[in-house]
Amino acid sequence: MEKRISNKSQEIQNLNKKDVESPNHADANKKDKIVERRQTAREADKPDTTLDKFFIEVALVTLFTLRFFKEVFRPRFEVNETLKQSFLMGYASLPLVAITGFIIGLVLTIQTRPTLAGLGAESWLPAMVAVSIIREIGPVITALIFAGKVGSGIGAELASMNVTQQIDAMKVSGTNPFKFLVVTRILAATLMLPLLVIFADMVGLLGSFVGCNLEGNVSTQLFFVQIIESLDFEDLVPAVIKTFFFGFAVGLVGCYKGYNSDKGTEGVGQAANSAVVFASLMVFVIDMIAVQITSMLQS
Amino acid sequence: MKRYIGSKIRLGLFISIGIAAFIIGIYLIGQRQNLFRSTFRISGVFRDVAGLQAGNMVRLSGVNVGTVDIVSIVSDTSVNVQLVIDERARKFIRKDAIISIGSEGLMGNKLLIITPGTGNKKLIEDGNIVQTNQPVNLDDVFLSLKTTIDNTSKIISNLSLIAASVQSGHGTIGRLIMDQSLAQNIDSTIVNLRQGSDGFKFLVDDVTEGFAQINIKDILLSLKTTMDNTSRITGDLALLVRHVQSGEGTIGKLLTDDSLSLNIDSTVIYLKEGTQSFKTLMDRSQESWLMWGSKKKTNE
Repeated sequence: MEKRISNKSQEIQNLNKKDVESPNHADANKKDKIVERRQTAREADKPDTTLDKFFIEVALVTLFTLRFFKEVFRPRFEVNETLKQSFLMGYASLPLVAITGFIIGLVLTIQTRPTLAGLGAESWLPAMVAVSIIREIGPVITALIFAGKVGSGIGAELASMNVTQQIDAMKVSGTNPFKFLVVTRILAATLMLPLLVIFADMVGLLGSFVGCNLEGNVSTQLFFVQIIESLDFEDLVPAVIKTFFFGFAVGLVGCYKGYNSDKGTEGVGQAANSAVVFASLMVFVIDMIAVQITSMLQS
Repeated sequence: MKRYIGSKIRLGLFISIGIAAFIIGIYLIGQRQNLFRSTFRISGVFRDVAGLQAGNMVRLSGVNVGTVDIVSIVSDTSVNVQLVIDERARKFIRKDAIISIGSEGLMGNKLLIITPGTGNKKLIEDGNIVQTNQPVNLDDVFLSLKTTIDNTSKIISNLSLIAASVQSGHGTIGRLIMDQSLAQNIDSTIVNLRQGSDGFKFLVDDVTEGFAQINIKDILLSLKTTMDNTSRITGDLALLVRHVQSGEGTIGKLLTDDSLSLNIDSTVIYLKEGTQSFKTLMDRSQESWLMWGSKKKTNE
């Protein structure tokens, strides 16, 4: 009995000792472990650097994309869910996109006026603003707004489902979560963004018309005739085609970040945040590539 | 469930409006490029198109009737330009139409201008090749403008020299402008001229009056009698000549008979000898005493 007690007290002492010594001890242990891990990493070519992580990420995103394309053509199709997502992404984003487009058209017109007036080419104002809205600003601004609203929404939603293990529950219940959650959202984003861009273009041109009439006086007919005169298929069609890619990128990044989020509440915020950041970045990258391809095809 | 259907309707509305807007945009732009109307094509060959591009406007009398479709280099000195033109403009364009390259203002886009051609030629047809006018190159214009300006400055400096000499009264023009005596001379000359012309006028009037009095018929009549007389005279003359030729009469013998000339010849020889001997006789008679007095007189 005494021995037990003495043993116990010794254990307690040991524990106390450990507690006192533990910080240093733990640090040393950690360092050892890190060194060890690095060595094994080098030996086994395992990733640890950010570059390696980046490439792993690229590979995972590629696999994710391939899986999307595999699933999207395979029945059964989640039509209702896709329509619901389309409604939420397209119709529900319309006011936001319309206000942005209107302001962009208005502001662009007001800001361009002094330069053109200095050149004595004020009559070119509608044409110039129309070309810049249709070709570049409409698609890109709308895609950025879309990334902010929809990309973050998808990321947060899927991440929280992931955290609360709803995705796992789906798997267990026999529903294909990738098909139900990811495919529908990417599809909806890809199809809705072009429509939103067309609306944004229209409202932007309306804003430009208002901007033209703030200082000058341009009749509605003249304004729209000048716009149509200044536009070509090479302005309209590539701009609309690239918005499909913008939408696809936003949906893909949001879904990927949400679907593969870390467990825990932090993961949700992180997923939403990085979804917006990467989606916006992807929009610009795709825009640059699209412009290169368009100018290459035109020449 | 009701709300779900409502959202579907709104989604459908959203999608259809968006697609409709896109299609309308495509249609409007296409209409501008004559994609949805019946069109015809013509082409022309330029040496230099001065930056003309596919899609540029084609104008007839200042109205947009079509677009440039293809600009392609055929060889190092020729560029083929194909135009797509609205069918409705065809009835105004003839086969001898000319296309030329212009531009919308100084900085604007290039455009093609069709000069319709003359009214008696046939209407243009699809695929016709039309005459072209070479575009005016702005550099060439500036170049020629420079030489013009150089020449002009030379002319102006010469002109200023001339003006200076005119002002100082040198030369004909200078005197004409600056010298008053010349003007007075001219003035008096003109007065003289006027008087002279008055006299001349009287003269002319008299002459015309005189001519008016003469009867041309009388003149012709007298001319006729003169002609008759002349022809009679010439007839007599011909007779006379014939007589002379045949050796009749004195003049005929004189002209045609050789013996007469021989006789005259010998007569002349005799006369010569006779005068010779008469001369010696006279000399001797002078030396004789009988003629003393006459000799003295001649010596004095």
